[in-house]
Amino acid sequence: MPRRENQDVQDNIPGIAPTPLPQSAAKQALPVAKSVDAQSVLKRLQSELMALMMSGDPGVSAFPEGDNIFCWKGTITGSKDTVYEGMVYKLALSFPNDYPFKPPKVKFDSSCFHPNVDVYGNICLDILQDKWSSAYDVRTILISIQSLLGEPNNDSPLNTQAAALWGNQEEYRKMVEKLYKPAQQS
Amino acid sequence: MAAIEPPPVDSPASPSSVSMEDAASECSTHPSFQCCICLDLLYKPVVLACGHMSCFWCVHNSMHAERVSQCPICRKPFYHFPSICWLLHFLLLKIEPLAYKRREEEVLEEEKHLDCFSPQVLDHVISDGACLEDVKESSDGPKINDLPENKFNSTTAKQVSLDDVICPLCKNLLFRPVVLNCGHVYCESCLSGLDDGPLKCQVCRSPHPGGVPNVCLDLDHFLEEQFPRHHMTTKEGVGLERTQGQKGELSSGVPQAEKQILKSSYNSGDGQLWFQGESSDVQIGVGCDSCGMYPIIGNRYRCKDCKEKIGFDLCEACYTTSSKFPGRFNQQHRPDHTFELDNSMLEIYKELMSQNHFV
Repeated sequence: MPRRENQDVQDNIPGIAPTPLPQSAAKQALPVAKSVDAQSVLKRLQSELMALMMSGDPGVSAFPEGDNIFCWKGTITGSKDTVYEGMVYKLALSFPNDYPFKPPKVKFDSSCFHPNVDVYGNICLDILQDKWSSAYDVRTILISIQSLLGEPNNDSPLNTQAAALWGNQEEYRKMVEKLYKPAQQS
Repeated sequence: MAAIEPPPVDSPASPSSVSMEDAASECSTHPSFQCCICLDLLYKPVVLACGHMSCFWCVHNSMHAERVSQCPICRKPFYHFPSICWLLHFLLLKIEPLAYKRREEEVLEEEKHLDCFSPQVLDHVISDGACLEDVKESSDGPKINDLPENKFNSTTAKQVSLDDVICPLCKNLLFRPVVLNCGHVYCESCLSGLDDGPLKCQVCRSPHPGGVPNVCLDLDHFLEEQFPRHHMTTKEGVGLERTQGQKGELSSGVPQAEKQILKSSYNSGDGQLWFQGESSDVQIGVGCDSCGMYPIIGNRYRCKDCKEKIGFDLCEACYTTSSKFPGRFNQQHRPDHTFELDNSMLEIYKELMSQNHFV
């Protein structure tokens, strides 16, 4: 299970954009770490795509959007025995040039009523921020988000209404259904 | 090796996932030798103290420039960028010659692009035991293409022989292998049997930061598969010693290592502070070319004569022990080069700290 802590380091919150790091003569320095070859990012994403297509995980899927392998669309299905059972949510993933050393940006495309998802679809999940590891991949991200649905972190919610309602699962389910918009595509 | 913390990092994807053409032209990659970061065959493997391994560049790129790094798989913190494990390198070259060759070409291409190179195989690395004494020096500096790596032209997988995988201490098949910071490999039991005191590599004599590392399980499983009979014999032998009451804690490498790391005063008394992110002596983005500490905590000594873009630096401890190792990035550093104290990155770090950059 991914741990969900540290809600304040959110790269989707404006205003805390990091100051650029010094580019001077540092050895083993940031310039080197940053210039991960585009080819290797491409290769890794292709490997992931292959693995994902072969694995056939139930409830999660993802595929590049159009010709751009740096932008993917994913879907997750709410797990059985959770208030999200049967719901299918679409997500957008966009990979930075230094992936997998930096996490991809992941957002809900469909509206999702959840304590850790805001109205714009931004997700507050530590593994997508400071707890990111370069050994994570699209599959583990989607599975983590799938499990986040059923196990929200209500301590520091983005959606306070959802957090407050969580205690009442029956009412909560009604809200989930009310705000759910099924994906357009087949 | 169970992950220390819950996050479900996957075991690397199936071997067939390399890519269509590769899968067709090469025999499938041994699953345990797939890098968890680039998802390709390991190239110039580096083994962390937790026993997990990745490629040289994958580990380096995933390290933090301003604070302690963590294993991508188990999140165990580590302070030092370990040297390449040449034993594994040659093993992979034998069992996956085609794929390994392809990796070599790809990586070299990227390195040329970056104008920064991973260490090349030198004869001194191959001839065990001679590391410190005969570091090769050629006046005009070896060009990448002249290096002996290119003498491995064979494209067919060779049988791994016992000689490739013996422990320098017991001279037997490696059993529960552990890899030190310098990249040399030993049986776990052989290292635990050494005298107390700071752990030192018996081959190259470089100090190993922390306690006995965790067993590299992927290598262990491979050896068990390749040499089932030998492995069994060693296992029984070690089991016997154990029941005879010799150090009843053979497999206690983990707690022992952890204990040592906690009180780690290696190289700098600030290890603990650094770990807690309170140190102000961080040489942001600068690593030690001898012990691999990255970033350097405390004083940084910069070589004034190395011409490579990446430079050549030492931490205080390595500077005072006059290390004779070549650079971590194939710099042509020589013993007659001169150093100067350079704390410029420390100033930058302090300034960033004062701006709460790392909050």
